Amino acid sequence: MRKNKKLLTLLSMMLVLVLVAVGCGTSTETPDTGDATGEVKDTLIVGQGADVVSLDPHATNDQPSSRVSKQIYNTLVNQNEAMELEPGLAESWEKIDDLTWEFKLRQGVKFHNGEDFTANDVKFTLLRALESAKIGHIVGAINPEGIEVVDNHTIKIATNEPFAPLLAHLAHTAAGMLNEKAVTEGGENYAQNPVGTGPFKFQEWKTGESVTLTRNDDYFADKAKVKTVVFRNITENTARVIELETGGIDIAYDIPPTEVSRVEEDQNLVLLRDESLSTAYIGFNAGKEPYNDVRVRQAINYAIDTDSIVEAVYQGVGKAAKGPLGTNVFGAHTDLEQYGYNLEKAKELMKEAGYENGFKATIMTNENQQRMDIAEIVQNQLRDINIETEVQVVEWGTYLDETAAGKHDMFILGWTTVTGDADYGLYALFHSSQFGDAGNRTFWSNDKVDELLDAARVEADPAKRAEYYSEAQEIIREEAPWVFTYNGENLAGTRKNVKGFKQHPAGHHKLVSVYFE
Amino acid sequence: MHKYILRRLLMLVPVMLGVTLIVFTMMHFTPGDPAKIMLGESAPEAEVIKLREELGLDDPFLVQFGRYVFNAVQGDIGRSYTTNRPVAIEIMERFPSTLKLAALGVLVSVSLGIPTGIISATRQYSLFDNIAMVAALLGVSMPNFWQGLMLILFFSVQLKWFPSSGFSTPSQMVLPALTLGTSSAAIITRMTRSSMLEVIRQDYIRTARAKGQAESIVINKHALNNALIPIITVIGLQFGYLLGGAVLTESIFSIPGVGRLMVESIKARNFPVVQGGVLFIAITFSFVNLLVDILYAFVDPRIKSQYK
Repeated sequence: MRKNKKLLTLLSMMLVLVLVAVGCGTSTETPDTGDATGEVKDTLIVGQGADVVSLDPHATNDQPSSRVSKQIYNTLVNQNEAMELEPGLAESWEKIDDLTWEFKLRQGVKFHNGEDFTANDVKFTLLRALESAKIGHIVGAINPEGIEVVDNHTIKIATNEPFAPLLAHLAHTAAGMLNEKAVTEGGENYAQNPVGTGPFKFQEWKTGESVTLTRNDDYFADKAKVKTVVFRNITENTARVIELETGGIDIAYDIPPTEVSRVEEDQNLVLLRDESLSTAYIGFNAGKEPYNDVRVRQAINYAIDTDSIVEAVYQGVGKAAKGPLGTNVFGAHTDLEQYGYNLEKAKELMKEAGYENGFKATIMTNENQQRMDIAEIVQNQLRDINIETEVQVVEWGTYLDETAAGKHDMFILGWTTVTGDADYGLYALFHSSQFGDAGNRTFWSNDKVDELLDAARVEADPAKRAEYYSEAQEIIREEAPWVFTYNGENLAGTRKNVKGFKQHPAGHHKLVSVYFE
Repeated sequence: MHKYILRRLLMLVPVMLGVTLIVFTMMHFTPGDPAKIMLGESAPEAEVIKLREELGLDDPFLVQFGRYVFNAVQGDIGRSYTTNRPVAIEIMERFPSTLKLAALGVLVSVSLGIPTGIISATRQYSLFDNIAMVAALLGVSMPNFWQGLMLILFFSVQLKWFPSSGFSTPSQMVLPALTLGTSSAAIITRMTRSSMLEVIRQDYIRTARAKGQAESIVINKHALNNALIPIITVIGLQFGYLLGGAVLTESIFSIPGVGRLMVESIKARNFPVVQGGVLFIAITFSFVNLLVDILYAFVDPRIKSQYK
């Protein structure tokens, strides 16, 4: 029996190992699902596709983190789901001169650590944000010397140059207000113990797995309807949809186009589709022959059937773009005429430009499946106007370097107008001062467009700004430095009993008013 | 025995250095500027330059490597580019999930594989044996991700017995453990069967039977003990391999393990985490190997006498 004992010991050792392994870190708390007892649930579980990187808004600019930070922090100015600006932590604001704005702050607001929210926190936050390599550019227009605390609840903020879209930039989640004491005390670990003024307080972060928030019962505005929000990290798209179907989560962000019908057909689920702020485009290198000829650029716009790209590549989610901006961006010209597929016109323009027999071209893209698919479709369609294209797929870093250096013919890229203001969506991409790395990788410029973009940046009157942008977009559409390809959509699915959920075009949706029926 | 263990531990040093050098070189020459990837397409050039300086990415290769080794010896294997937290902490936070998954997977595979292998060997070419061998072939050939999805479809979507993702409650662990366990079980079954078959035909087994020993004792005591060595080797290898993170299973079931951390880090050119991760996996693999070698001595006294 001696040897059998050994086998037994061996097996029991393994069992112990398993038990120890399973025992370590196992949480015994299971979220209150309420279903079984018929009570109304008060824990909302949200599934998203990647883990949070940091809950320090100055340390990262990724979507999953912003989506959580949005619940913890407030900004001075709010941008609602209709992209309208409304008071946030600032009750009111006033433009004092070309450079300076004065903000009156809301009184009686407390941070989650019990500290009062004051103008000193605003100054601290903005100065800290300006130092950030990750999000510094979002508040980059602000002059650090020009932030002046007038009293506890009044602050003046000056920009380096006149900058009309300042309010939209202050509404970005990266400009959420931090508490000086909490940041200093938190030190290196602040990102794991964030403190804000928002409707939810941070509770727990299981790395790679989930972030849990609880309701802030001292919230200054309408309090959250659910008690707890859990953001679960479910990277596989299919797995996330299955979790929604089986009731493991209540809301699933970023439903992939392939799963749309599955969510739509399920009677227990609701699919939400709203236009996002993202756009995809095919850019020309207008600094190079033959792409410096507007007729060639227009011909290619006519020769590419963007509607079929939306169908084939994006499975009908989103729509073909008419111009450089999505329609929900402030200043977007919504009545631009879409180029549309017109082979005859394309051939005519090619002939006029002297390229009846076509030419050879390369389309550059990075290893992004959708962009590679677009490249292939474009390659096929351009054959009809005798353009022989070669698709070049390069690694992301290289891609950015090469296109910034102007080594490309055509390239496929996207842009998200995160502030929802036309300035962000046009200036970097079409102004002549922004050639290369700064954003204008087409090297196309137009004096009138420069003038309009500069004027709109300075102009305080929103109506006038919109006019300037409209005119600029008409010129851009006509001059066609891009093939205007695609405007994206945000897709989310919820369980049927989830009410009060609205998507924000920027993708970071508020959860304060979500409740269960 | 102690000397042997000490010698084996010392041998880890050159292994670690070699692994570090290889990974460091590979990551260094992978195209793509981490600073650009971290900041995204809308970041201004000046900020990219600032970040490159902060991360020391402009230094020569040997300077960077030297700095890394120097710090690593003192226990600092760097900070994650994305989260700016110590790599060691990031890995250790993920390791419990990977350890749980690997341990459960091995438990499933051992408790399925060894009994099936023994029965198959003792009843060679019987109906049971044939079915077991076909099942084992299926188990080895089925890709993990497909099997995981099928299990989810059947047990989560249809029967609603188990949740389809997550890894904090026992019910969430069932499907991932099954997914991982069944493919290793197949390998263990085949190994147990062939190892047992070899032993069963030896003279001393015939002798044991001839002296009237009960069949169960002949099999469990005389045969199995001597057949165990190759089986333990396979189990050890499987365990060591699983400890490196079962990437596909972790992805399908949204398990926050080391494997997924590595894949995400490679995609993000998060060099410090990839280097730290590979180093960590190399260490755990070496340890599991050492453990298996010690186990040999425990199972077979003849081997123990060789460990000097």
